[in-house]
Amino acid sequence: MSQQSLILPATGTGTGPGADCAAGTAKGRRNRRLLELAGAAAIAGTYVFLVLTQPADIANGPASFSALVALGGFLLGAVLLIAAALPVLPTSTLVLMPVALVLNVVLGQLMGSTGLPFYFDAIGTVLIAVLAGPAAGAATGALSSIVWSFFNPTVLPFAAGAALIGFLAGLAARGGLFRRFYLAPVAGFVTGILAGAVSAPIAAFVFGGTAGLGTGAVVSAFRAMGDTLLAAITKQALISDPMDKAIVFAIAALLVYALPRRTTFQFPFVRRHRVLAGKVPATPEA
Amino acid sequence: MRMPYTLHPLTSLTAAGCTAVLTTAAGAWPLSLAVALAAVLLAVRAGAGQQVLVAASAVLLPLGLSLLMLHGLFFPEGRTVLAAWGPARVTAEGLAFAWESATRTGACVLVLLLFAFTVSTPDLVAALAGRGLPPQFGFVLASALTLLPAMAGRLERIRAAQEARGLVLRGGVLSRLAAVRLQMVPLVLGLIEDSGSRAEALDARGFGAPGPRTSYRQVADPPAQRRLRTTLLLITAAAVALRLVASWPAAGPA
Repeated sequence: MSQQSLILPATGTGTGPGADCAAGTAKGRRNRRLLELAGAAAIAGTYVFLVLTQPADIANGPASFSALVALGGFLLGAVLLIAAALPVLPTSTLVLMPVALVLNVVLGQLMGSTGLPFYFDAIGTVLIAVLAGPAAGAATGALSSIVWSFFNPTVLPFAAGAALIGFLAGLAARGGLFRRFYLAPVAGFVTGILAGAVSAPIAAFVFGGTAGLGTGAVVSAFRAMGDTLLAAITKQALISDPMDKAIVFAIAALLVYALPRRTTFQFPFVRRHRVLAGKVPATPEA
Repeated sequence: MRMPYTLHPLTSLTAAGCTAVLTTAAGAWPLSLAVALAAVLLAVRAGAGQQVLVAASAVLLPLGLSLLMLHGLFFPEGRTVLAAWGPARVTAEGLAFAWESATRTGACVLVLLLFAFTVSTPDLVAALAGRGLPPQFGFVLASALTLLPAMAGRLERIRAAQEARGLVLRGGVLSRLAAVRLQMVPLVLGLIEDSGSRAEALDARGFGAPGPRTSYRQVADPPAQRRLRTTLLLITAAAVALRLVASWPAAGPA
Protein backbone atom coordinates (compact mmCIF):
# COMPACT_ATOMS: atom_id res chain seq x y z
CA MET A 1 0.00 0.00 0.00
CA SER A 2 2.15 2.81 -1.18
CA GLN A 3 1.36 6.47 -1.18
CA GLN A 4 1.26 6.54 -4.95
CA SER A 5 -1.59 4.08 -5.21
CA LEU A 6 -3.93 6.86 -4.18
CA ILE A 7 -2.90 9.35 -6.82
CA LEU A 8 -5.55 9.43 -9.46
CA PRO A 9 -4.78 9.76 -13.10
CA ALA A 10 -6.59 12.58 -14.85
CA THR A 11 -9.45 11.21 -16.91
CA GLY A 12 -8.66 10.60 -20.53
CA THR A 13 -12.01 11.40 -22.03
CA GLY A 14 -13.59 14.43 -20.43
CA THR A 15 -12.55 14.99 -16.84
CA GLY A 16 -15.23 13.77 -14.48
CA PRO A 17 -16.00 16.56 -12.04
CA GLY A 18 -17.19 14.05 -9.46
CA ALA A 19 -13.91 12.21 -9.44
CA ASP A 20 -11.95 15.41 -9.04
CA CYS A 21 -14.24 16.64 -6.30
CA ALA A 22 -14.00 13.42 -4.30
CA ALA A 23 -10.29 13.02 -4.89
CA GLY A 24 -9.40 16.63 -4.34
CA THR A 25 -10.31 17.05 -0.69
CA ALA A 26 -7.64 15.99 1.76
CA LYS A 27 -10.27 14.46 4.03
CA GLY A 28 -11.69 12.26 1.28
CA ARG A 29 -8.18 11.12 0.41
CA ARG A 30 -7.42 10.24 4.03
CA ASN A 31 -10.69 8.33 4.40
CA ARG A 32 -9.96 6.31 1.28
CA ARG A 33 -6.45 5.55 2.50
CA LEU A 34 -7.91 4.37 5.82
CA LEU A 35 -10.40 2.14 3.97
CA GLU A 36 -7.60 0.68 1.83
CA LEU A 37 -5.43 0.01 4.87
CA ALA A 38 -8.38 -1.51 6.76
CA GLY A 39 -9.13 -3.79 3.79
CA ALA A 40 -5.52 -4.95 3.53
CA ALA A 41 -5.34 -5.41 7.31
CA ALA A 42 -8.56 -7.49 7.30
CA ILE A 43 -7.15 -9.81 4.62
CA ALA A 44 -3.70 -10.15 6.19
CA GLY A 45 -5.12 -10.53 9.73
CA THR A 46 -7.59 -13.21 8.64
CA TYR A 47 -4.82 -15.17 6.94
CA VAL A 48 -2.49 -15.04 9.97
CA PHE A 49 -5.35 -15.92 12.34
CA LEU A 50 -6.44 -18.90 10.22
CA VAL A 51 -2.91 -20.29 9.99
CA LEU A 52 -2.27 -19.86 13.72
CA THR A 53 -5.58 -21.35 14.90
CA GLN A 54 -5.97 -24.11 12.32
CA PRO A 55 -7.74 -27.09 13.86
CA ALA A 56 -5.26 -29.72 15.01
CA ASP A 57 -7.60 -32.59 14.26
CA ILE A 58 -10.02 -32.34 11.35
CA ALA A 59 -11.34 -35.85 11.93
CA ASN A 60 -14.24 -34.38 13.91
CA GLY A 61 -15.70 -32.90 10.74
CA PRO A 62 -15.21 -29.74 8.68
CA ALA A 63 -14.22 -26.69 10.70
CA SER A 64 -17.25 -24.40 10.79
CA PHE A 65 -15.32 -21.98 12.98
CA SER A 66 -12.47 -21.52 10.49
CA ALA A 67 -14.92 -21.40 7.56
CA LEU A 68 -16.86 -18.55 9.17
CA VAL A 69 -13.69 -16.62 10.02
CA ALA A 70 -12.32 -17.11 6.48
CA LEU A 71 -15.58 -16.05 4.82
CA GLY A 72 -16.11 -13.04 7.07
CA GLY A 73 -12.55 -11.72 7.11
CA PHE A 74 -11.75 -12.09 3.42
CA LEU A 75 -15.13 -10.77 2.21
CA LEU A 76 -14.86 -7.78 4.55
CA GLY A 77 -11.39 -7.02 3.15
CA ALA A 78 -12.62 -7.27 -0.45
CA VAL A 79 -15.64 -5.03 0.24
CA LEU A 80 -13.44 -2.41 1.94
CA LEU A 81 -11.05 -2.39 -1.03
CA ILE A 82 -13.98 -1.93 -3.46
CA ALA A 83 -15.42 0.87 -1.31
CA ALA A 84 -12.03 2.61 -1.25
CA ALA A 85 -11.35 2.44 -4.99
CA LEU A 86 -14.68 2.43 -6.80
CA PRO A 87 -16.19 5.89 -6.12
CA VAL A 88 -13.10 7.79 -7.29
CA LEU A 89 -12.24 5.88 -10.47
CA PRO A 90 -12.62 8.02 -13.60
CA THR A 91 -15.43 7.09 -15.98
CA SER A 92 -12.98 5.89 -18.64
CA THR A 93 -11.66 3.27 -16.20
CA LEU A 94 -15.09 2.44 -14.80
CA VAL A 95 -16.53 1.45 -18.19
CA LEU A 96 -13.54 -0.87 -18.67
CA MET A 97 -14.39 -2.87 -15.53
CA PRO A 98 -17.44 -4.72 -16.92
CA VAL A 99 -15.32 -5.48 -19.99
CA ALA A 100 -12.62 -6.97 -17.74
CA LEU A 101 -15.16 -9.04 -15.81
CA VAL A 102 -16.55 -10.45 -19.05
CA LEU A 103 -13.03 -11.09 -20.39
CA ASN A 104 -12.19 -13.05 -17.23
CA VAL A 105 -15.11 -15.36 -17.91
CA VAL A 106 -15.04 -15.56 -21.72
CA LEU A 107 -11.24 -15.83 -22.16
CA GLY A 108 -11.16 -18.37 -19.36
CA GLN A 109 -13.64 -20.51 -21.26
CA LEU A 110 -11.84 -19.95 -24.58
CA MET A 111 -8.53 -21.06 -23.09
CA GLY A 112 -10.37 -24.00 -21.57
CA SER A 113 -11.28 -25.10 -25.10
CA THR A 114 -7.58 -25.58 -25.88
CA GLY A 115 -7.50 -28.38 -23.31
CA LEU A 116 -4.62 -26.94 -21.26
CA PRO A 117 -4.75 -27.68 -17.50
CA PHE A 118 -4.87 -24.08 -16.19
CA TYR A 119 -7.66 -21.75 -15.07
CA PHE A 120 -6.75 -18.40 -16.70
CA ASP A 121 -9.54 -16.57 -14.90
CA ALA A 122 -7.62 -13.35 -14.24
CA ILE A 123 -6.65 -12.17 -17.74
CA GLY A 124 -9.16 -9.29 -17.74
CA THR A 125 -8.13 -8.22 -14.23
CA VAL A 126 -4.43 -8.11 -15.16
CA LEU A 127 -5.23 -6.27 -18.41
CA ILE A 128 -7.12 -3.52 -16.52
CA ALA A 129 -4.38 -3.33 -13.88
CA VAL A 130 -1.75 -2.75 -16.61
CA LEU A 131 -3.86 -0.10 -18.34
CA ALA A 132 -5.36 1.68 -15.31
CA GLY A 133 -3.25 0.97 -12.21
CA PRO A 134 -3.29 -0.99 -8.92
CA ALA A 135 -6.47 0.51 -7.40
CA ALA A 136 -8.49 -0.24 -10.53
CA GLY A 137 -6.93 -3.71 -10.68
CA ALA A 138 -7.84 -4.53 -7.08
CA ALA A 139 -11.41 -3.29 -7.48
CA THR A 140 -11.77 -5.21 -10.75
CA GLY A 141 -10.52 -8.43 -9.19
CA ALA A 142 -12.89 -8.24 -6.23
CA LEU A 143 -15.90 -7.16 -8.32
CA SER A 144 -15.14 -9.88 -10.84
CA SER A 145 -15.57 -12.51 -8.12
CA ILE A 146 -18.88 -10.95 -7.04
CA VAL A 147 -20.32 -10.88 -10.57
CA TRP A 148 -19.01 -14.37 -11.36
CA SER A 149 -20.66 -15.70 -8.20
CA PHE A 150 -24.02 -15.13 -9.93
CA PHE A 151 -23.15 -18.19 -12.04
CA ASN A 152 -20.67 -19.97 -9.76
CA PRO A 153 -21.06 -19.06 -6.06
CA THR A 154 -17.88 -20.93 -5.09
CA VAL A 155 -15.66 -18.13 -6.47
CA LEU A 156 -17.13 -15.56 -4.05
CA PRO A 157 -14.85 -16.41 -1.06
CA PHE A 158 -11.78 -15.98 -3.31
CA ALA A 159 -12.54 -12.27 -3.88
CA ALA A 160 -9.65 -11.17 -1.65
CA GLY A 161 -7.16 -13.27 -3.63
CA ALA A 162 -8.48 -11.84 -6.92
CA ALA A 163 -8.11 -8.30 -5.53
CA LEU A 164 -4.53 -9.08 -4.52
CA ILE A 165 -3.74 -10.29 -8.06
CA GLY A 166 -5.10 -7.07 -9.59
CA PHE A 167 -3.24 -4.89 -7.09
CA LEU A 168 0.11 -6.66 -7.59
CA ALA A 169 -0.31 -6.60 -11.39
CA GLY A 170 -0.84 -2.83 -11.21
CA LEU A 171 2.26 -2.41 -9.03
CA ALA A 172 4.29 -4.50 -11.50
CA ALA A 173 3.06 -2.37 -14.39
CA ARG A 174 3.97 0.84 -12.55
CA GLY A 175 7.39 -0.57 -11.76
CA GLY A 176 8.01 -1.03 -15.48
CA LEU A 177 7.93 -4.85 -15.46
CA PHE A 178 5.72 -4.84 -18.57
CA ARG A 179 8.32 -2.83 -20.56
CA ARG A 180 10.40 -5.96 -21.14
CA PHE A 181 8.42 -8.96 -22.30
CA TYR A 182 10.45 -11.50 -20.30
CA LEU A 183 9.84 -9.65 -17.01
CA ALA A 184 6.02 -9.97 -17.15
CA PRO A 185 5.95 -13.75 -16.44
CA VAL A 186 8.42 -13.20 -13.57
CA ALA A 187 6.04 -10.67 -12.00
CA GLY A 188 3.20 -13.15 -12.56
CA PHE A 189 5.17 -15.93 -10.87
CA VAL A 190 5.73 -13.83 -7.72
CA THR A 191 2.06 -12.72 -7.73
CA GLY A 192 1.00 -16.35 -8.00
CA ILE A 193 3.01 -17.31 -4.90
CA LEU A 194 1.27 -14.66 -2.77
CA ALA A 195 -2.19 -15.22 -4.27
CA GLY A 196 -1.90 -18.99 -3.88
CA ALA A 197 -0.90 -18.69 -0.23
CA VAL A 198 -3.86 -16.37 0.52
CA SER A 199 -6.37 -18.62 -1.30
CA ALA A 200 -5.26 -21.91 0.29
CA PRO A 201 -7.06 -21.44 3.68
CA ILE A 202 -10.34 -20.78 1.81
CA ALA A 203 -10.05 -23.98 -0.20
CA ALA A 204 -9.09 -25.91 2.94
CA PHE A 205 -11.61 -24.55 5.47
CA VAL A 206 -14.60 -23.41 3.37
CA PHE A 207 -14.66 -26.18 0.75
CA GLY A 208 -12.56 -28.89 2.40
CA GLY A 209 -10.61 -29.43 -0.82
CA THR A 210 -10.05 -28.11 -4.33
CA ALA A 211 -12.61 -27.74 -7.10
CA GLY A 212 -10.73 -29.54 -9.88
CA LEU A 213 -9.73 -33.18 -10.26
CA GLY A 214 -6.18 -32.31 -11.38
CA THR A 215 -5.50 -30.06 -8.39
CA GLY A 216 -7.23 -32.63 -6.17
CA ALA A 217 -4.74 -35.28 -7.31
CA VAL A 218 -1.80 -33.04 -6.33
CA VAL A 219 -3.35 -32.41 -2.90
CA SER A 220 -3.92 -36.16 -2.50
CA ALA A 221 -0.23 -36.80 -3.11
CA PHE A 222 0.77 -34.43 -0.30
CA ARG A 223 -1.92 -35.86 2.00
CA ALA A 224 -0.57 -39.36 1.33
CA MET A 225 2.75 -38.11 2.74
CA GLY A 226 0.96 -37.16 5.95
CA ASP A 227 0.59 -33.36 5.55
CA THR A 228 -2.28 -31.49 7.22
CA LEU A 229 -5.04 -30.39 4.84
CA LEU A 230 -3.97 -26.72 4.93
CA ALA A 231 -0.31 -27.62 4.33
CA ALA A 232 -1.20 -29.94 1.44
CA ILE A 233 -3.45 -27.36 -0.25
CA THR A 234 -0.88 -24.59 0.29
CA LYS A 235 1.80 -26.72 -1.37
CA GLN A 236 -0.54 -27.54 -4.25
CA ALA A 237 -1.33 -23.80 -4.66
CA LEU A 238 2.40 -23.03 -4.64
CA ILE A 239 2.83 -25.50 -7.50
CA SER A 240 -0.06 -24.47 -9.76
CA ASP A 241 -0.71 -20.78 -9.03
CA PRO A 242 2.71 -19.25 -9.89
CA MET A 243 2.75 -21.15 -13.21
CA ASP A 244 -0.83 -20.11 -14.00
CA LYS A 245 -0.23 -16.45 -13.14
CA ALA A 246 3.06 -16.35 -15.09
CA ILE A 247 1.15 -17.47 -18.19
CA VAL A 248 -1.74 -15.07 -17.48
CA PHE A 249 0.67 -12.11 -17.13
CA ALA A 250 2.39 -13.14 -20.39
CA ILE A 251 -0.98 -13.35 -22.19
CA ALA A 252 -1.99 -9.95 -20.81
CA ALA A 253 1.33 -8.49 -22.02
CA LEU A 254 0.80 -10.03 -25.48
CA LEU A 255 -2.71 -8.56 -25.61
CA VAL A 256 -1.58 -5.09 -24.50
CA TYR A 257 1.13 -5.03 -27.17
CA ALA A 258 -1.28 -6.40 -29.80
CA LEU A 259 -3.62 -3.46 -29.20
CA PRO A 260 -2.96 -0.35 -31.28
CA ARG A 261 -0.76 2.23 -29.51
CA ARG A 262 -3.51 4.81 -30.13
CA THR A 263 -5.72 2.76 -27.79
CA THR A 264 -3.23 1.87 -25.06
CA PHE A 265 -1.64 5.31 -24.78
CA GLN A 266 -4.99 7.00 -24.25
CA PHE A 267 -4.83 5.69 -20.66
CA PRO A 268 -3.27 8.28 -18.32
CA PHE A 269 -1.73 5.56 -16.12
CA VAL A 270 0.12 4.11 -19.14
CA ARG A 271 1.43 7.54 -20.19
CA ARG A 272 2.36 8.79 -16.74
CA HIS A 273 4.31 5.74 -15.53
CA ARG A 274 5.65 4.72 -18.96
CA VAL A 275 4.14 1.26 -18.47
CA LEU A 276 4.84 0.02 -21.99
CA ALA A 277 7.97 -0.04 -24.11
CA GLY A 278 8.30 2.58 -26.83
CA LYS A 279 8.00 6.33 -26.83
CA VAL A 280 4.91 8.08 -25.52
CA PRO A 281 3.19 9.70 -28.49
CA ALA A 282 4.01 13.41 -28.55
CA THR A 283 0.39 14.54 -28.69
CA PRO A 284 -1.72 12.20 -26.60
CA GLU A 285 -5.39 12.15 -27.42
CA ALA A 286 -7.37 14.53 -25.30
CA MET B 1 -46.01 -19.78 -9.68
CA ARG B 2 -43.37 -17.04 -9.84
CA MET B 3 -43.22 -16.61 -6.11
CA PRO B 4 -39.76 -15.08 -5.48
CA TYR B 5 -40.56 -12.13 -7.75
CA THR B 6 -42.94 -10.76 -5.15
CA LEU B 7 -40.00 -10.47 -2.75
CA HIS B 8 -37.98 -7.27 -2.54
CA PRO B 9 -34.50 -8.03 -4.03
CA LEU B 10 -32.82 -7.23 -0.73
CA THR B 11 -35.16 -9.62 1.08
CA SER B 12 -34.24 -12.52 -1.17
CA LEU B 13 -30.54 -11.52 -0.99
CA THR B 14 -30.69 -11.42 2.81
CA ALA B 15 -32.58 -14.71 2.94
CA ALA B 16 -30.09 -16.47 0.64
CA GLY B 17 -27.02 -15.02 2.38
CA CYS B 18 -28.34 -15.77 5.88
CA THR B 19 -29.30 -19.33 4.91
CA ALA B 20 -25.81 -19.94 3.51
CA VAL B 21 -24.12 -18.53 6.64
CA LEU B 22 -26.48 -20.45 8.98
CA THR B 23 -25.77 -23.71 7.13
CA THR B 24 -22.03 -23.08 7.40
CA ALA B 25 -22.31 -22.19 11.10
CA ALA B 26 -24.37 -25.28 11.89
CA GLY B 27 -22.04 -27.65 10.03
CA ALA B 28 -24.48 -30.58 10.23
CA TRP B 29 -25.15 -32.61 7.10
CA PRO B 30 -28.88 -33.30 7.71
CA LEU B 31 -29.52 -29.55 7.81
CA SER B 32 -27.32 -28.98 4.72
CA LEU B 33 -29.22 -31.68 2.82
CA ALA B 34 -32.60 -30.21 3.86
CA VAL B 35 -31.51 -26.71 2.77
CA ALA B 36 -30.27 -28.04 -0.58
CA LEU B 37 -33.55 -29.91 -1.23
CA ALA B 38 -35.61 -26.86 -0.23
CA ALA B 39 -33.58 -24.67 -2.61
CA VAL B 40 -34.16 -27.11 -5.49
CA LEU B 41 -37.92 -27.26 -4.74
CA LEU B 42 -38.20 -23.47 -4.62
CA ALA B 43 -36.21 -23.17 -7.87
CA VAL B 44 -38.54 -25.63 -9.61
CA ARG B 45 -41.59 -23.77 -8.31
CA ALA B 46 -40.13 -20.46 -9.55
CA GLY B 47 -39.57 -21.93 -13.01
CA ALA B 48 -35.77 -21.76 -12.76
CA GLY B 49 -35.20 -25.38 -11.81
CA GLN B 50 -33.34 -26.38 -14.95
CA GLN B 51 -31.03 -23.34 -14.95
CA VAL B 52 -30.18 -23.75 -11.27
CA LEU B 53 -29.56 -27.49 -11.59
CA VAL B 54 -27.36 -27.14 -14.69
CA ALA B 55 -25.26 -24.36 -13.13
CA ALA B 56 -25.05 -26.21 -9.79
CA SER B 57 -24.00 -29.53 -11.32
CA ALA B 58 -21.28 -27.79 -13.38
CA VAL B 59 -19.84 -26.53 -10.08
CA LEU B 60 -20.64 -29.37 -7.70
CA LEU B 61 -19.81 -32.49 -9.73
CA PRO B 62 -16.06 -31.77 -10.14
CA LEU B 63 -15.88 -30.54 -6.52
CA GLY B 64 -17.67 -33.64 -5.22
CA LEU B 65 -15.49 -36.05 -7.20
CA SER B 66 -12.34 -34.20 -6.12
CA LEU B 67 -13.41 -34.35 -2.44
CA LEU B 68 -14.27 -38.05 -2.72
CA MET B 69 -10.89 -38.88 -4.26
CA LEU B 70 -8.96 -36.67 -1.83
CA HIS B 71 -10.59 -37.60 1.49
CA GLY B 72 -11.95 -40.99 0.48
CA LEU B 73 -8.49 -42.37 -0.33
CA PHE B 74 -6.06 -40.22 1.67
CA PHE B 75 -7.07 -39.15 5.16
CA PRO B 76 -4.07 -39.52 7.50
CA GLU B 77 -6.22 -38.52 10.52
CA GLY B 78 -8.62 -41.44 9.89
CA ARG B 79 -8.61 -44.37 12.34
CA THR B 80 -11.38 -46.68 11.08
CA VAL B 81 -9.78 -48.26 8.02
CA LEU B 82 -12.32 -49.85 5.69
CA ALA B 83 -9.93 -50.87 2.90
CA ALA B 84 -6.30 -50.24 1.99
CA TRP B 85 -4.28 -50.48 -1.21
CA GLY B 86 -0.67 -49.50 -0.65
CA PRO B 87 -0.58 -45.84 0.46
CA ALA B 88 -4.32 -45.33 -0.19
CA ARG B 89 -6.59 -46.08 2.77
CA VAL B 90 -10.36 -45.74 2.69
CA THR B 91 -11.36 -44.54 6.17
CA ALA B 92 -14.80 -43.92 7.64
CA GLU B 93 -13.64 -40.51 8.94
CA GLY B 94 -12.41 -39.50 5.50
CA LEU B 95 -15.69 -40.44 3.81
CA ALA B 96 -17.65 -38.61 6.51
CA PHE B 97 -15.47 -35.51 6.05
CA ALA B 98 -15.99 -35.57 2.25
CA TRP B 99 -19.76 -35.99 2.73
CA GLU B 100 -19.97 -33.14 5.30
CA SER B 101 -17.93 -30.76 3.10
CA ALA B 102 -19.82 -31.62 -0.08
CA THR B 103 -23.30 -31.23 1.45
CA ARG B 104 -22.36 -27.94 3.13
CA THR B 105 -20.94 -26.43 -0.08
CA GLY B 106 -23.82 -27.90 -2.09
CA ALA B 107 -26.43 -26.24 0.12
CA CYS B 108 -24.71 -22.84 -0.09
CA VAL B 109 -24.25 -23.07 -3.88
CA LEU B 110 -27.88 -24.07 -4.49
CA VAL B 111 -29.29 -21.34 -2.24
CA LEU B 112 -27.14 -18.62 -3.83
CA LEU B 113 -27.91 -19.84 -7.37
CA LEU B 114 -31.63 -19.81 -6.52
CA PHE B 115 -31.23 -16.13 -5.61
CA ALA B 116 -29.11 -15.34 -8.71
CA PHE B 117 -31.51 -16.94 -11.18
CA THR B 118 -34.75 -15.58 -9.69
CA VAL B 119 -33.75 -11.99 -8.85
CA SER B 120 -34.44 -9.23 -11.36
CA THR B 121 -31.10 -7.48 -11.97
CA PRO B 122 -32.58 -3.97 -12.59
CA ASP B 123 -34.58 -4.23 -9.35
CA LEU B 124 -31.51 -5.37 -7.43
CA VAL B 125 -29.40 -2.49 -8.80
CA ALA B 126 -32.14 0.05 -8.01
CA ALA B 127 -32.55 -1.36 -4.49
CA LEU B 128 -28.79 -1.28 -3.84
CA ALA B 129 -28.46 2.30 -5.11
CA GLY B 130 -31.39 3.29 -2.88
CA ARG B 131 -29.46 1.93 0.14
CA GLY B 132 -26.57 4.36 -0.43
CA LEU B 133 -24.20 2.10 -2.35
CA PRO B 134 -22.08 4.01 -4.87
CA PRO B 135 -23.96 4.23 -8.21
CA GLN B 136 -20.76 3.01 -9.88
CA PHE B 137 -21.26 -0.40 -8.24
CA GLY B 138 -24.71 -0.75 -9.75
CA PHE B 139 -23.38 0.28 -13.16
CA VAL B 140 -20.56 -2.28 -13.13
CA LEU B 141 -22.85 -5.07 -11.87
CA ALA B 142 -25.68 -4.46 -14.33
CA SER B 143 -23.34 -3.75 -17.22
CA ALA B 144 -21.34 -6.95 -16.71
CA LEU B 145 -24.45 -9.11 -16.29
CA THR B 146 -25.96 -7.79 -19.54
CA LEU B 147 -22.63 -7.80 -21.43
CA LEU B 148 -21.97 -11.47 -20.68
CA PRO B 149 -24.72 -12.98 -22.88
CA ALA B 150 -24.00 -10.42 -25.63
CA MET B 151 -20.35 -11.48 -25.61
CA ALA B 152 -21.11 -15.05 -26.68
CA GLY B 153 -22.80 -13.72 -29.82
CA ARG B 154 -19.88 -11.39 -30.51
CA LEU B 155 -17.34 -14.19 -30.20
CA GLU B 156 -19.47 -16.29 -32.56
CA ARG B 157 -19.41 -13.50 -35.21
CA ILE B 158 -15.63 -13.03 -34.84
CA ARG B 159 -15.09 -16.76 -35.32
CA ALA B 160 -17.35 -16.84 -38.37
CA ALA B 161 -15.46 -13.88 -39.85
CA GLN B 162 -12.06 -15.46 -39.20
CA GLU B 163 -13.22 -18.80 -40.59
CA ALA B 164 -14.37 -17.01 -43.73
CA ARG B 165 -10.78 -15.73 -43.99
CA GLY B 166 -9.38 -19.26 -43.74
CA LEU B 167 -9.05 -19.93 -39.98
CA VAL B 168 -9.02 -23.65 -39.20
CA LEU B 169 -10.13 -24.65 -35.69
CA ARG B 170 -8.36 -28.02 -35.64
CA GLY B 171 -4.90 -29.48 -35.41
CA GLY B 172 -2.28 -29.49 -32.68
CA VAL B 173 -1.82 -27.26 -29.67
CA LEU B 174 0.17 -24.63 -31.60
CA SER B 175 -2.40 -24.15 -34.35
CA ARG B 176 -5.19 -24.04 -31.79
CA LEU B 177 -3.29 -21.41 -29.79
CA ALA B 178 -2.87 -19.39 -32.99
CA ALA B 179 -6.62 -19.71 -33.56
CA VAL B 180 -7.31 -18.46 -30.01
CA ARG B 181 -5.04 -15.45 -30.65
CA LEU B 182 -6.88 -14.64 -33.89
CA GLN B 183 -10.15 -14.54 -31.95
CA MET B 184 -8.95 -12.88 -28.74
CA VAL B 185 -7.26 -9.83 -30.23
CA PRO B 186 -10.30 -8.60 -32.23
CA LEU B 187 -12.54 -9.33 -29.24
CA VAL B 188 -10.43 -7.38 -26.73
CA LEU B 189 -9.77 -4.53 -29.17
CA GLY B 190 -13.47 -4.18 -29.99
CA LEU B 191 -14.47 -4.22 -26.33
CA ILE B 192 -11.92 -1.55 -25.35
CA GLU B 193 -12.89 0.66 -28.29
CA ASP B 194 -16.56 0.31 -27.33
CA SER B 195 -15.86 1.22 -23.72
CA GLY B 196 -14.07 4.39 -24.84
CA SER B 197 -17.14 5.65 -26.68
CA ARG B 198 -19.38 4.51 -23.83
CA ALA B 199 -17.31 6.59 -21.40
CA GLU B 200 -17.79 9.71 -23.54
CA ALA B 201 -21.54 9.11 -23.79
CA LEU B 202 -21.86 8.53 -20.04
CA ASP B 203 -19.81 11.58 -19.14
CA ALA B 204 -21.88 13.73 -21.50
CA ARG B 205 -24.93 12.62 -19.49
CA GLY B 206 -23.40 13.53 -16.13
CA PHE B 207 -22.44 10.04 -14.96
CA GLY B 208 -19.37 11.33 -13.10
CA ALA B 209 -21.18 14.32 -11.62
CA PRO B 210 -21.44 14.55 -7.81
CA GLY B 211 -24.68 14.81 -5.88
CA PRO B 212 -27.71 12.62 -5.26
CA ARG B 213 -29.33 10.52 -8.01
CA THR B 214 -32.96 9.75 -8.60
CA SER B 215 -34.05 6.41 -9.96
CA TYR B 216 -36.74 5.76 -12.56
CA ARG B 217 -37.37 2.42 -10.94
CA GLN B 218 -39.20 2.26 -7.64
CA VAL B 219 -39.14 -1.12 -5.89
CA ALA B 220 -41.89 -1.67 -3.33
CA ASP B 221 -40.48 -2.53 0.10
CA PRO B 222 -43.32 -3.59 2.45
CA PRO B 223 -42.65 -3.08 6.20
CA ALA B 224 -43.23 -6.80 6.81
CA GLN B 225 -40.27 -7.68 4.60
CA ARG B 226 -38.10 -5.10 6.38
CA ARG B 227 -38.93 -6.73 9.70
CA LEU B 228 -38.21 -10.15 8.18
CA ARG B 229 -34.77 -8.97 7.02
CA THR B 230 -33.93 -7.56 10.46
CA THR B 231 -35.03 -10.79 12.14
CA LEU B 232 -33.01 -12.93 9.74
CA LEU B 233 -29.89 -10.81 10.24
CA LEU B 234 -30.28 -10.97 14.05
CA ILE B 235 -30.75 -14.76 14.02
CA THR B 236 -27.72 -15.20 11.75
CA ALA B 237 -25.55 -12.91 13.89
CA ALA B 238 -26.59 -14.86 16.98
CA ALA B 239 -25.83 -18.20 15.31
CA VAL B 240 -22.41 -17.00 14.16
CA ALA B 241 -21.60 -15.62 17.62
CA LEU B 242 -22.74 -18.89 19.22
CA ARG B 243 -20.57 -20.96 16.87
CA LEU B 244 -17.53 -18.72 17.40
CA VAL B 245 -17.86 -18.87 21.19
CA ALA B 246 -18.56 -22.60 21.25
CA SER B 247 -15.63 -23.52 18.98
CA TRP B 248 -13.08 -21.03 20.30
CA PRO B 249 -11.16 -23.30 22.69
CA ALA B 250 -11.20 -26.20 20.22
CA ALA B 251 -9.71 -23.96 17.55
CA GLY B 252 -6.73 -22.91 19.64
CA PRO B 253 -3.21 -23.98 18.64
CA ALA B 254 -2.54 -27.58 19.48
